[in-house]
Amino acid sequence: MPTVHELAFVRSGDKGDISNVVVLARDAEAFDTLERGLRPAAISAFLGELVTGPVVVHTLPKLHAFNVVLRGALGGGATTTLRFDETGKSMCAILSRMQVTSDHR
Amino acid sequence: MAGNCRIGAGSGYWGDMIDPAVELIEHGDVRYVCFDLLAELTVALLTRAKMRDPGKGHIPDVETIIRQALPSARRNEVGLVTNGGGANPAAAALAAARVACDAGLSDTRIGVIDGDDLTDRVAEIRATGWKFTHLESGEEDIDRIADRVVAVSAYTGSDAVIEALDGDAHVVIGGRLADSALYCGPLMRHFGWSFDGDDWERIGAALTVGHVLECAGIASGGMSSQWRLSKDPWRLGFPFAEVSEDGSAVVSKVAGTGGVINQWTIKEHLLYEVHDPFNYLLPDGVVDMSAVEVTELGADTVRLTGMSGRARPDTLKVQIGYEDGYIAEGRTMFPWPDALEKADFCEQLVRERIGYLGVTPTELRFDRVGWDALAGPIAPKPAAGLQPNEVELRMVAKCRTRAEGEIARRAMLLPATAGPVGTAFGAPLPLRKVVALWPTLVPRDLVPQRVLVDTAKEIVDAHGA
Repeated sequence: MPTVHELAFVRSGDKGDISNVVVLARDAEAFDTLERGLRPAAISAFLGELVTGPVVVHTLPKLHAFNVVLRGALGGGATTTLRFDETGKSMCAILSRMQVTSDHR
Repeated sequence: MAGNCRIGAGSGYWGDMIDPAVELIEHGDVRYVCFDLLAELTVALLTRAKMRDPGKGHIPDVETIIRQALPSARRNEVGLVTNGGGANPAAAALAAARVACDAGLSDTRIGVIDGDDLTDRVAEIRATGWKFTHLESGEEDIDRIADRVVAVSAYTGSDAVIEALDGDAHVVIGGRLADSALYCGPLMRHFGWSFDGDDWERIGAALTVGHVLECAGIASGGMSSQWRLSKDPWRLGFPFAEVSEDGSAVVSKVAGTGGVINQWTIKEHLLYEVHDPFNYLLPDGVVDMSAVEVTELGADTVRLTGMSGRARPDTLKVQIGYEDGYIAEGRTMFPWPDALEKADFCEQLVRERIGYLGVTPTELRFDRVGWDALAGPIAPKPAAGLQPNEVELRMVAKCRTRAEGEIARRAMLLPATAGPVGTAFGAPLPLRKVVALWPTLVPRDLVPQRVLVDTAKEIVDAHGA
């Protein structure tokens, strides 16, 4: 099973306690694989206690891109979190280790 | 019919490089260069600075920008637009005017925008029946934090920027102008687009272009998956966009500068810090990226088409900064042998010491830096008996009061003197006061903007009088 890292370029940013991970499929085939496997339930399960809120995935077919929005993702948000990575810039790298399978529903 | 408009990014944050902006002004053939200097928390911090000294509360970079960029901007007829006024645009304008006069440019027209600071208007706005509902948690109003509010500021849009430029301002200085408005305002003025007509798709395009440019070097090779392709990042070129009247744009940078622009750097930034890309709410419109396409035209040159948008919301986003206790942090490093075991020993030492002194932090966290500081609870556990060369223990506590925070801070220094042999320590970190943010909304019509355009000489003279 491929990882997000093998299929896509990624980058994350923050607003308050919300982290968003931009997932850019490297090609059309990778986009198809990600479209089947990059599901909120699978992402929630993978990120476990790191993210406490719901996960939403927005799909942009023309850009072969996904915007993964994670609520309750930064320990309260940049100004109050105890994490070193206050703005969750590494969230993209953490998510990119997730294996993508089309079995998740 | 207006010709294309070329607009460039001058900075993406407080403390950003200034030489790329000067390079754009001198060699980019741009009409405007825009300087975003504010992050989410910045205005609250600047408000505290203004409370201590009424002449402060703006971003000091404004003076650097005027000193280094204004002479060439005036020569090349490039307009400068910034939100570096922060919590005190008038103070920023005075500082900018003084620097302009010193540079022999006392006829520089400076537009100052005020009105986004709602700190003293909370009671008045609540009296209309409006509730500052928390946008993320849904908490209905601010009663719980009302006595701890530091600053309240509304993200404002392009109306006032356009008004200042219509007043022939060479420099526009606002407070919490939305990042995107720094770009959307000049583009709307150039093309004559209006909030009263049917220009919403084109305004959506201008906002999308603004969004791509607003973090400056972060769209041209910085913070990028393309880092291996980023040439000479120590002299990163900042991006500019050449926008057509149909709203499409070509993004590039000055030839010979460092960094890289390709489809990936632009796509990364299109969605950066956006939530719903089909409904991205900004003060000037609702951006819809569903039809956006990104095409590489050549080296460091990318075309953006298909941008669109809808009418602007009736509300503006507001950030309320409020005091929320103190954070104590300590860091200590353990050498081989048994570094991980020493870290466990010291975590217990610090936990027990804080409890022994009767302090209960509201949150307490221990990281093994190099192992789990980033992924936290989902980092894999180290294999039994693993012997790393070194491990850093990062200790962080949030406490309600300064006194409790200080006790926790001192406990975090103990691994050096009450812990295992070989424990290394650096300079102690100071206790930090926490300003938390409460994102909410306010009706747009309760936030009128004021625009004043005067020459640098007039501003300096008025202050002296």
